[in-house]
Amino acid sequence: MGLRDQLAQFDASRNRPPEIVAILKRGNESVRASGVAGLQIGEHAPDFALPNQRGEMVRLSDRLSRGPVVLSFYRGVW
Amino acid sequence: MIRSLGADLIGISPELPDNTLTMAEKHAIPIDILSDVISEVLKKYRLWFAVPAEVKALYLEKFGLNLEKYNGAGRWELPVPATYVLDRSGIVRAGEADPDYTVRMEPSDIVAAIRAIVGVCG
Repeated sequence: MGLRDQLAQFDASRNRPPEIVAILKRGNESVRASGVAGLQIGEHAPDFALPNQRGEMVRLSDRLSRGPVVLSFYRGVW
Repeated sequence: MIRSLGADLIGISPELPDNTLTMAEKHAIPIDILSDVISEVLKKYRLWFAVPAEVKALYLEKFGLNLEKYNGAGRWELPVPATYVLDRSGIVRAGEADPDYTVRMEPSDIVAAIRAIVGVCG
């Protein structure tokens, strides 16, 4: 089973009340409608430097000089 | 798998650095987890959004979740969950972004994109 199916299965297993599901769905739709769509394929990813979990600065361009990079934007640990 | 193909994996969130981890635990995490505490990169990548009022109320009242505890005062803001595979010149060769956090890029698609970049067959 792929990740997408596993996540869908997990989401369904939570049995959330329909009113809560509806609020989350409306929220997602409003974000989508606002046009926040991220980078497009073929676009140049902007460089940046941010601190990692040990307080060391990580610069994207430094990492790219060593090889391909997978960036994963996530909401948080909560 | 990502690393064995010579690629790097970097996580980015708007959260403040996690102060609950010891330094040893931080060293044990095999990837870089970056904190974008002013949402600068989230905005550059056009992934930033303010949590809609209705969702904020739901988080606070039903989930007991106060994002300010994780993100800092006044920061009811998040990225659209997204994954990008960049080649060495920084070009996005594959990627997905969806406000629904249960919809994520398939790991097999990520690996396939890296293989295409580094020229590994199969």
